This record gives sequence, structure tokens and C-alpha cells, in this order.
Amino acid sequence: MPMTLTQLVVMALLQIVLLLAFVMMLVPLITFAERKVIAYVQVRLGATRTAGGLWGAQAGRTHKSRTLTGGLNGLMWYLGRVPMLSIFRGLPVFIADAVKLLTKEDIVPEGADKAVFILSPAISVISAFTVFSAVAFAPGALFTFPAWFPIVGGLPFNAFLTDINVGLLFILGISSVGVYGIVLGAWASNSKYPLLGGLRSAAQIISYEVPLTLSLLVPVILTGSLNFNEMARRTATEVHWLAIPLLFVGFFIYTTCAFAETNRVPFDLAEAETELVSGFHTEYTGMKFSFYFLAEYANMILVSALAAGFFLGGHYLLPFGFQTFLMKAGETAWFNQPSILFFLGKVLFLLFVFIWVRATLPRYRYDQLMHVGWKYLIPYTLVLIFVAALIRYIA
Amino acid sequence: MFKTEEMEINLGPQHPSTHGVLRVKLRLDGETVVKCTPIIGYLHRGVEKICEDKTYFQGQVWTDRMDYVASVSNNLGWAEGVEKLFGITVPRRAHYIRTMLTELNRLSSHLLWLGTHALDIGAMTVFLYAFREREQILDCFEAFCGARLTTTAFRIGGLREDLPPGFIKQVQAFQDRFLDCLDEYETLLTENRIWKKRTVGVALLNADDAIALGVTGPVLRAAGNPYDIRKAFPYAAYAEMQFDVPTRTAGDTYARYQVRLEEMRQSHRIIQQCVDGLPEGPVMAKLPKVLKSEVNEVYHAIEAPKGELGYYFVGEKGSQNPYRMHVRAPSFVNLQALPKMTEGKLLADVIAAIGTLDVVLGEVDR
Repeated sequence: MPMTLTQLVVMALLQIVLLLAFVMMLVPLITFAERKVIAYVQVRLGATRTAGGLWGAQAGRTHKSRTLTGGLNGLMWYLGRVPMLSIFRGLPVFIADAVKLLTKEDIVPEGADKAVFILSPAISVISAFTVFSAVAFAPGALFTFPAWFPIVGGLPFNAFLTDINVGLLFILGISSVGVYGIVLGAWASNSKYPLLGGLRSAAQIISYEVPLTLSLLVPVILTGSLNFNEMARRTATEVHWLAIPLLFVGFFIYTTCAFAETNRVPFDLAEAETELVSGFHTEYTGMKFSFYFLAEYANMILVSALAAGFFLGGHYLLPFGFQTFLMKAGETAWFNQPSILFFLGKVLFLLFVFIWVRATLPRYRYDQLMHVGWKYLIPYTLVLIFVAALIRYIA
Repeated sequence: MFKTEEMEINLGPQHPSTHGVLRVKLRLDGETVVKCTPIIGYLHRGVEKICEDKTYFQGQVWTDRMDYVASVSNNLGWAEGVEKLFGITVPRRAHYIRTMLTELNRLSSHLLWLGTHALDIGAMTVFLYAFREREQILDCFEAFCGARLTTTAFRIGGLREDLPPGFIKQVQAFQDRFLDCLDEYETLLTENRIWKKRTVGVALLNADDAIALGVTGPVLRAAGNPYDIRKAFPYAAYAEMQFDVPTRTAGDTYARYQVRLEEMRQSHRIIQQCVDGLPEGPVMAKLPKVLKSEVNEVYHAIEAPKGELGYYFVGEKGSQNPYRMHVRAPSFVNLQALPKMTEGKLLADVIAAIGTLDVVLGEVDR
């Protein structure tokens, strides 16, 4: 059914709002998960209550005081009596975090390049969120609006914003703009530690972009498409059995590069706390800092989504093309139906891996990082691409 | 065509990984360290001068605040130095208890080193594991003397009190699980590729340089020199203990890591021997009411967790205070090796080097 312009605009706006809300809500949830997972790895409890006396006088025990945070704590305390739910007691911390970041003094250091200093977190966060427009969370419609709904009644609501046929190219292009935010922000701070951090991260992100992109070429070659939906479907269901180990290796190379791309341990050199204080965002406070923070976590979601889509079978149940075998059981079986739940499950698992690795591994040194990137990952991915092309030629 | 310029950067005195208030002035060419100058003195309290106005009994309190993560070792050095000055013989049971507590303290100091060193290199979990065990040791100290860090554990001539009831059981409970905990740290680090990459061949210091710079302790032993005062000039009850002095020849950060971990195993062994062979008897020697020295001088060194900790006393005729007191602090001397270890290396190696030297700024500045 062709849509009118109004319908098109309203639908797009609805999707944008939903997508932004989804990512924006996922980020604080990941930070909470990060606290909890790392805490449990380190045999401690992590966040169990929210501190501070927001809105109202602070009195007595934290969960009985007449403040907003006190009330929240009280609520969560009762929730915590349900055995499995007790780990969520500290959940309101992210609200407190957001309030704190919003109300912090916004400092622009003296001697900083003011315009660039303010602009660069925006560059990072805009590029991080724009990328999601090409990510398909599920193929086809999530639900259909009922007919009585104003303007968009009777239209399907897609789980992707755009269905560009060069989706992957778009994703890689936009996401690599984010590094400008980091480099410019570091440079504009007019401070030495951020400068070192910015230089590190420029070198790091640019060198890891190469193997990252090359490893994504493996599914591109195998499927012959650049469209997110199409690639996800074909790598899950139409893969030649010879290509399964290829996807497996490709996945590991991709994940390694993804850790470097998102500045996470063991490649968190740009913000290595024990070396560079905070790296490129040392001079940033308040919302400007939280923009970098949002961008970093949004990038984590993005690289997880890409890995889930191209290597782990996307919206289908099984990873690495194993779904191909299941498909013989008939397309109508429940395990052969694509679902947004499978996709989200994989994304969440990968996000867990990010946190898990952070709790376990030490950090690489700058020269070793370059060494790993240029001397190992790039040659390996080139071999992978060659083999992928060979398989494509045979099959 | 392009102008290049070296950058000068101040690492500290407020920096997450300078372990207190060490300030290191670095001259950087990109990420390469051209010149490294440690600047100290931010924590100077003049302990040596203060002790000239304190009696020998009072002075020990100040030793707690030098190397505050190994205060029992500091107490032992002070007490034994003063006993040497006055020719006091300490009962055997007191020697055993002192040895046991000092070795527990060595464990707690090494655990703190392990945790912070790993944290500096980016492995954050080891820190919390190490602190979990350190907590148990501090509980033992608390049971013994009521304090966890600033213990002032000993008295001149022995101990103030005998062990509290249940103390041996508490130590034994720690002993029973500690070796497993050590294995746990090792699974996270020893064969970890990234850990090895960050430590093998990093911050090299060979034995000749170490001796020339006066470096002692695990840093010297990791360079291949088996100098350990517990063996070379036994004090307390170490002459009766069976233990090995672990050495490595590589002289790099990884070797120092291995030496310290092995030392923890040996400390565990010594503590077990103290627990098993604890003799009965008094814990305090008979002392005159007021200690007054003839003019004489004494140097007494012990093997503190960081290296040779020496106390030099000059007594004054008829005085209850030392005329002059000097501390040969291992952290202070070891810190000299930092430029040697880091110049020409990368910025990240400076962090590893500071961690592996295991300096405590309270002791460097005194």
C-alpha cells in the first residue's frame, strides 16, 4: 500500500522516537548490568541502593527516608524480597546518575577551543545514534497499527528505520565519523592527558577499522548483498557448509576489532584510567561527558548488533549458518521463524561478553595494540576474504 | 618540514597509579619516555627528627606511619634495633609471635602490591580478590592488637600481651585457604598472554645496576641476587625456620611478579612453622623502668616486604631519647631505579615500573 507523505513522515518520526528511546534506555541498563556483572565476578554485591537525598529531607534509614531516592530505595527494597528480583535493588542508580550528569557544572577549560570543545561530543553521539537507522532489529513488521489509529492506521510498523541496499556501507561510514568527535574533543581540551588519549584513540580506531571492515566483507562476499536484512537472512539460512568455519573465525576477528573500536578493555588505551587519568574526556563534565559515554555504549550496542546480524544468525535461532540445516525441517516450524527476540538475545549476550572481558583481562600497551592489528588481524582477514571468495566461486 | 617538540608531562602527584603522592616529571617524545624524574617530598613529616624528641617506647608509633601497608615489619625493625642498643634478650615465644605477625604482614603487603599492580596494568578483578584475603589478615591483626593498619604491635623487650584466645585458630583458618587463593590469582595472570606481554622484558634492571643503585628486596632477587636478610643475617626466629629464597634471573616485571608470588608461598610456610612450633613461656623480657643508653650506635636491618629496612640509632648518655635516628627505607632507595628502568621505554611501562617497584610514599618521604 503506497503511503502518503504525511503518513511517511509520521511513521518515520514514530520509528525514530522508538529507536532512540530503545537505545537511550538500553545504555543505562547496560551500565547497571556492568556494575552488577563485574561486582559478581569480583565477589561483591555492586549497587544495592541509590545514594543521595533527592527531593525532600533526608532522614533515618535510606529506604524509609522521605526523599525521592529514599522512596525509590524503599520500593526496590520490597521488590527485592522476591528472591530472583533482589539483584535489581540498585536499579534506580541510573536515574540518579542521569540527574547527576544533568545538574553538574558544565566546565569549559580556559584556553580550550570553545566551539570545537562543545561540538565534538555532539559529533560522537550523533554518529553513534544515526547508525542505528540502518540496523534491522527484525525483518518485516513488528506489528500493524489498528485501522482506527489516526494517520498511520492499518500500516505495518517496521523494526527497522530504513532498508538501504548499501546498509553495511552506510553503517561503517557513519560510525567511523565518531572518531572525529574523540580526536577533536581531545585536541580542543588544550590539555596534555586528553591529547595523548586522543592520539592513541585516533591511531587505534583507524587501524582497527581496517580489519573490522575486512572481516565484515566475509559475510558480504558469502551473501552478495550489503542490505542488513538480506545479509542477516542469508548468513543464517543459506550458507554453504564449507563457509561455517569461515564465519566462526570471522566472528572472532570481528569481535576483537569491535573491542578496539569501542575502546573497551583490553584495548581501552584511549581512556586508560591508570595511565592517562581519563584519556580524551578528562576535561569534560556533565552532559558533554555523558554524550561521550552514551556514544561509547551506543557503539557497543551497534557492534553487538552487527555481530549478531552477520555472524550469529541475526533473527534466527542458530549462529554461524547452522540454521541452514534446521531449515530442512520446514519453514513453518517455530525455530525457523525469524524473531526479534532471538536477535535481542544475541545482542544482550554479546554485551555481557563485553562486560565479562572487562572484568577479566589486563590492558594492552599502545605498540602491542598496533602490532596485533597490523601484523595479525589484517593478514588473517585477507586470507579469510580469499577463502570466502573461493567458496563463493565453488558453491 | 614539520616542527617536532618534546612534551613535558607531570604524572602525579594526583594520579590514579602513582600510589599516593609520587610526582614523576616525564619528558615524552610521542609516547616514548626521554627523561624521567621522580619528585618526592609531598608526604614528608620529618619522622626521623620527631623521633629524636620521643622516648624509645614512643618512637615506635611513628614507624607505623612510614610504610603504612607493612607497619608490623617497621615495628619489628624498631623494636629489635632498640633491643640491640640496650642488649635486651627477648623470650623465644615472643620471637615466634613476632615472626608470625611479620610474615602475615608481608603477605598483606604483597597482596596489596599484587592488587594495585594488576589494576595499573588493567586487570581489575585481581585487586578485589587480593583485598578479600588481605582483609582476613587485617582481622588477625585487629584480634592481636586492636588496630588494622597502624599496629604498634610490639614492645621493646617482647610483646605487651600474649596472643588472644582463638588467635591461632584464626590464623590457621587463613592458612588453610590461602594457597588456593594464590592459585586463583595465578589462573588470572600467570599465563595470561596480555599480562605476559605487559610484563615480560618490561622495566629491566640487572643485578649489577640493582646493586649499584642500592636496590634490595624482591626487585634485587628478581635480578638473580639471592640477598635476603632473613637468611644472610637472621633475626627474630628466622634462624629456626625452613624456607627458600626465591630468585629469578630475568630482572623484568614478570620475574618480580613471580618472585613475590613465590615469596608469599614461603611466607605461608614460615607462618605454618610458627603456628606449629610455637613455644610456651613468657612474652616479655625483664626491663628497667626507664631505658637510658650509654653513648653507642646501632644499625639493625630487617627484610621488610619492600627490601632492606634499616634503623640506625645513636644513643645519648643518660637520655631516654635517641640522639639521632635514621631509617634506611627500601622504597626510597628502590625508587632511584625508576629512571633507569623507564627511560627510552613507553609511557605505559612507567606505570608498570612504578607498580613493580612497590613503593609506598609514606616510607619514601618519611
